[in-house]
Amino acid sequence: MSGAVPIGWPQLALALGFVLLAGGASLWLKLGLGRDLIVGTVRTFAQLVLMGYVLLYIFALSWPWLVVGVFAGMIFFAARIVAGRVKGKGVPVFWPVFFSMLLSYMVVSFLVTGVVVQAEPWWEPRYFLPLGGMVVGNSMNAMALSLERLFGEMKNRRDEVEALLSLGADPAEATGSIFADSVRAGMIPSINSMMGVGLVFIPGMMTGQILAGADPLVAIKYQIVVMLMLVGSTTVGSVLAVSLARRRMFTPAAQLRPLG
Amino acid sequence: MHTAEALLRLEAVSWDAPGDKPVLRDVSFALGPGELAWLSGPSGGGKSSLLRLINRLAEPKGGAIFFDNKPLGDYAPPELRRRVALLPQTPVMLTGSVGSNLRAPFGFKAAHGSPRPDDAQLQALLDGLGLGGVGLDQAAAGLSLGQKQRVALARLLLLEPRALLLDEPVSALDPESRELVEKTAVEQARAGRTVLLVSHQPPSGAAAMRRLVLRDGVLEEAA
Repeated sequence: MSGAVPIGWPQLALALGFVLLAGGASLWLKLGLGRDLIVGTVRTFAQLVLMGYVLLYIFALSWPWLVVGVFAGMIFFAARIVAGRVKGKGVPVFWPVFFSMLLSYMVVSFLVTGVVVQAEPWWEPRYFLPLGGMVVGNSMNAMALSLERLFGEMKNRRDEVEALLSLGADPAEATGSIFADSVRAGMIPSINSMMGVGLVFIPGMMTGQILAGADPLVAIKYQIVVMLMLVGSTTVGSVLAVSLARRRMFTPAAQLRPLG
Repeated sequence: MHTAEALLRLEAVSWDAPGDKPVLRDVSFALGPGELAWLSGPSGGGKSSLLRLINRLAEPKGGAIFFDNKPLGDYAPPELRRRVALLPQTPVMLTGSVGSNLRAPFGFKAAHGSPRPDDAQLQALLDGLGLGGVGLDQAAAGLSLGQKQRVALARLLLLEPRALLLDEPVSALDPESRELVEKTAVEQARAGRTVLLVSHQPPSGAAAMRRLVLRDGVLEEAA
C-alpha cells in the first residue's frame, strides 16, 4: 500500500456540500447559525492550510528551538483558554496554568517521543509536534475542568474552609477534600476515554495513520501510547494547576481571599 | 485594666469590607485572662468582622491587635487560631461521625502530635454539654442545629485555647441548648480563659462581665 488516496482540490470542494447542508438546515429551522458556519468553514480551511505549510517548513528546517517555540506557542493559547474559563473570579491563574502546562507537557512529550517512541533526536518535529499537540489539546480540557471545580467548591464551601483554618488547619489541610475533588474532575474524562476507546470511537490519530497506509498494528501501538500519555499528562497538569491556583487563593497569613 | 495584663488588646483597629465599605472604625479594647465580655449591637454593625480579625481570618486595614502582648503577625496563623479560637455563627460539621469531627483538629500539623483524646474523654465532654444521648459513632450531619453548635463548641474546647471568640452561638438554639452554651462560656471564663461572646441577649448566670456595644463600626463600653 502506498499511502492514502490523494484528495484533489475539486473533491475537497465537494466536501463543502456538508456545510451547505448545515446552512440549509439553519435557514429552514431559523437557527441563526449561518454566519458562524461561514466563519467556521473559512477558519477551518485557513488555519489548517496554514498549519500544513508551517509544519512543512518546520519539518524541513528541523531547528530544535523552533520546535520548542511552536510548542510553547500552542501552550500559550491553551493557557489563555483555560484561564478564561475562571476569569473574573478573584484570582488570576494565567501564569500558574501556563507554567504547569509548560512543565508537565514538556516532560510528558519528551518521555513519549524520546523514551517510548525513541525518535532521534527527541524533538524531531514529525513526532514531537503532533504528539505534543495532542497532549496540549486534551489536557487543556482537564485543566479547565479541574480549575472550574476548584473555584466552584472554594466558593460554595468557604465556611467549611474557614472553620478548618480556625481549628488550626493550614490552607492545604483545610482544602484537602476540595483539592482531591478538583483533580478527580480533571482526570475522569481521560479515564473514561480509556474505557471507551476502540468500542465507542476510533481515535483520530489512529484513523489518520490507517488511512495514510500505516500497518494497523503500528497505528494501534501509537494510539495506546497516546491514551496512556493523556492519563499521565492530565494527572500531572491538573495536580500542578490546582496546587498553584489554590496557593494564590490564600494570603501569606493563611487567609482565604474573596472569590468572585 | 493595665495593658500589660491584657491577653487580647486591640488598638485603633479599622477594617473595610471588600469594595472599601468601612465596617470597623478605631476599635480599641483590652481583655484579660478570665474576663468575660458580652458584645452586642445591631446586625451589620461589624461584630462578626471583629471576631474574624482577632482570629486572623482577615487583616485589619489600620491599627493593631495583640495577643499576649505580641502582634498577631508574630504567630504562625494556625498556632494563633488554636489559641484564640473562634466559634462561627453557623456550625460547620465535616463529613463523618461526631467522633471524627471532634478529633479532626488533632490531625493537623499544628497539633504537633498532642495526645488524641480517648472516647471516654470525648463522651464526658459531650455529656457536660447536654449531649449525653449523642454517640461518637453517630453521623454528624444528622444532628439538630443546636446539637451541631454544641459539638462545634466541644471541638473548640478540645484545643484548650486561651481565648474563646463565640459568634452568636445561641441565636438559633432552643432555650435548653442556649443555657448550656452560655453556662459553658461563663465556666470557661471562670477557669481563666478570656471569653468574648457575641449575642443579642446577655448570657444568663454571669456574675461579672464587661458589656461592649458595637454600633456602626464604633465600639462603646457600657457601664
